[in-house]
Amino acid sequence: MGDAMRGAHFRLSPAQKQRMLVAQERCRDAAGSVHSSAFVNVGDTIPVDYENGYLRGHGTQVVDGQLLATVCGVVERVNKLVSVRPLRARYNPETGDVVVGRVTEVAPKRWKVDVNSRQDAQLMLSAVNLPGGIQRRRTATDELNMRDLFTENDLISAEVQTLHQDGSLHLHTRSLKYGKLESGQLVKVAPYLIKRLKQHFHQLKQYGVQMILGCNGYVWISALPQSTPDIATDQKRANTESLEAAAGTADSQNVEISRELRERICRLANVVRVLGACGFLIHPDSIVDTYEASLSWGTELKHMFSGEFFVKVVEREAEQRSKKG
Amino acid sequence: MDFISPEGLRLDGRRPFELRQLHAEIGVLDNADGSATFEMGNTKVIAVVYGPREVQNRSQQQLDHALVRCEYSMATFSTGDRRRRGKGDRRGTELSLVIRQTMEAAILTNLLPRSQIDIFVQVLQADGGTRACCINAAALALADAGIPMRDLVASCSAGYLNSTPLLDLNYLEDSGGGPDLTVALFSKLDKVTLLQMDAKVPLDVFEKVMNLASEGAKAVTQFLREILMENTKKLAFAKEPLKV
Amino acid sequence: MVVGLGLSSAEKSYIAGGIAVDLRGDGRGRHHFRDFSIDTSIIPQANGSARLRLGGTDVIASVKAELCAPPPGRPHHGKLEINVECSPTAAPEFEGRGGEELSMDLSRALQRSFLGGASGAGAAIDLASLVVLEGKLCWMLYFDGLVLSSDGNLLDALSIAMKAALSNCGLPKVEITSGTNPEDDADFELNEEEFTPVDTSRFPVIVTLTKVGKHYIVDATAEEESQMTAAVSVAVNKKGSICGLTKRGGTGLDPSVLLDMISVAKRVSQTLITSIDAEISAAESRHDDQ
Repeated sequence: MGDAMRGAHFRLSPAQKQRMLVAQERCRDAAGSVHSSAFVNVGDTIPVDYENGYLRGHGTQVVDGQLLATVCGVVERVNKLVSVRPLRARYNPETGDVVVGRVTEVAPKRWKVDVNSRQDAQLMLSAVNLPGGIQRRRTATDELNMRDLFTENDLISAEVQTLHQDGSLHLHTRSLKYGKLESGQLVKVAPYLIKRLKQHFHQLKQYGVQMILGCNGYVWISALPQSTPDIATDQKRANTESLEAAAGTADSQNVEISRELRERICRLANVVRVLGACGFLIHPDSIVDTYEASLSWGTELKHMFSGEFFVKVVEREAEQRSKKG
Repeated sequence: MDFISPEGLRLDGRRPFELRQLHAEIGVLDNADGSATFEMGNTKVIAVVYGPREVQNRSQQQLDHALVRCEYSMATFSTGDRRRRGKGDRRGTELSLVIRQTMEAAILTNLLPRSQIDIFVQVLQADGGTRACCINAAALALADAGIPMRDLVASCSAGYLNSTPLLDLNYLEDSGGGPDLTVALFSKLDKVTLLQMDAKVPLDVFEKVMNLASEGAKAVTQFLREILMENTKKLAFAKEPLKV
Repeated sequence: MVVGLGLSSAEKSYIAGGIAVDLRGDGRGRHHFRDFSIDTSIIPQANGSARLRLGGTDVIASVKAELCAPPPGRPHHGKLEINVECSPTAAPEFEGRGGEELSMDLSRALQRSFLGGASGAGAAIDLASLVVLEGKLCWMLYFDGLVLSSDGNLLDALSIAMKAALSNCGLPKVEITSGTNPEDDADFELNEEEFTPVDTSRFPVIVTLTKVGKHYIVDATAEEESQMTAAVSVAVNKKGSICGLTKRGGTGLDPSVLLDMISVAKRVSQTLITSIDAEISAAESRHDDQ
């Protein structure tokens, strides 16, 4: 079959193949954090200290007194909590996560949002900002005009508010940085490649671009919003009648994207796609570094899915890892 | 017809207890949550998993466990004589049901309430043992999708011709008029999750064939585990380098 | 031709805006084809087969040859049949009969481009080359396509895959043992050791031009296709002759626009055919090495 990495298919010449193999080996061997004995298959027994007791976490089950893995992945031990973390899987939400999602349904008093998880998330009407002040009771007009705020297929950024026992999750957009997304493009990567960091909104002023790395694997790359939200503008917006203003879209909707800006957004998006296909962690630093590297190599946008570019990216990562170790 | 030569070799040169060559690949279709191909000799199957995800048809939603759906399809070019198969032919429907039940028994559906898991199995080339091949491919695809299972399922077929139990029948042997038995096992739990056989056989023959198929399934389990472990390591090392 | 793809109005205008300035979402220009890879002999049971990957689009094509009687009224011709199926693996919406409409659309479009007219003229293969014994025995080639995954441009992908499958195809030598008299049925034997390849030089490639706003693009992704107002698929062969034409989509096209789209398709097809032939040879030599 083709020389494939997930999400990319390209041909490598024998010389390129050799370079790729060497680079992948180097990536693997650089000193780091994963111990090889920590891998398990479905059904494998997980060694635990039965005497001192343990807490059973995700990805495990007890059968005949033995702790077994229920997924293929890496064993994690935090104090007495033993769990198995699968690598590829649907997004596993945690409270406080920043996510990018797509509205799938407008229902009475709430929206349903696809966040690449086991179920669609719920965004209650009471959990969004409304005009006329942040705290006010929702009126019947609000309920009727929900589509003025978010309609089907809209992309939004939001935060995970609560998780319930039955697996349902609730979002909120109670900060002006959240809301409808415009002037950009969406890239999807596997959720396990997005590390939970302090910041998920990255303003790359040097490029005039904003990146939102959703914990759910949905990455939004767009033009910088016209104005960064602050208290004064909050109040001004809050006092207007228009729901659109409250959604934070009025400004960015009219952003004319210049060709140069479009090229930068595209280059960043392609970098994210390539890093995702290589299975490398999608970190703002690695995205920017790879972006800059692609410029220094003179890689044209349309050649970023060629075998040569992939080989260079993996070689570069190997180099970075060797340095750190 | 002689299915076993005087030297004890089958039509394709194998010994009676020999499995055909196994080949598998994980992550073959990017759109899906999980995917895998599985080959047993010339039988080639691709399995794909979508989910767990929001239930599409609200009326089918189960409050306390996941909804598992499965469809089995055979490509027009998959059999020796090319045949257009209408969707919903009896064999296809039966196989869809059998595969679904087998995989459903493996999936810890109570951990995924109100969700839906779609398993699609597409036969690319059929040369006997299709049922078993489909189950093996589906097991890999489910693992690829990170769906929690109580155990790995592995499957194998066996038959009885010229008074000899034969492991992993190919198409010619399957059409030989003897019994065709497929077994699927939970390897760790050591439990049979699927057992199907056609044709009439005396009990002692049945036992021999059943045991042979089980041995075959155990060998397949070993192969599945190797493939999965290699895949897990590859992904983990790519994401983060190995600590010695 | 797109399933379950919802885009926000912001995304739609971003896509259209990019196309307008010749810079698509993945960095391609309007007339740029994605890189593709071909593998041959993937279905050993068939006479010829190939798998084509074009971005996220993944299709398999196979050619099976059967001996039969020539078509009525044309004793000097062989026969072709073309059929496409969409596997549920490509999208859950293709489950059951969900993929039927798309399958039929694709089949008909390919038939229109490859089968030629009622007289058999203009077919993708010289039908006369498929005759074994005039009036009695000819080859029937079944082209079967299977869509495993779709990220747009299925028609073009299938046409390329089918050409590759045909290049990979060998027809067993037929030895007539008796029955050369006009009244007798022919008896024959197949020599499974000797194979003759089929001439693919006339086989066209289909280039689909998708119109989004005022501009048209080549090799649209699923997202781009969802924004199409109209699409024109042109089958062009190595010589640059047009072998078939299909227009889809509700929006009417100005005749001058249509002519321009056809000329773009012609131009793109010539470089495309060269790449395809190169990829096919590479695939075959890779297979021979194994």
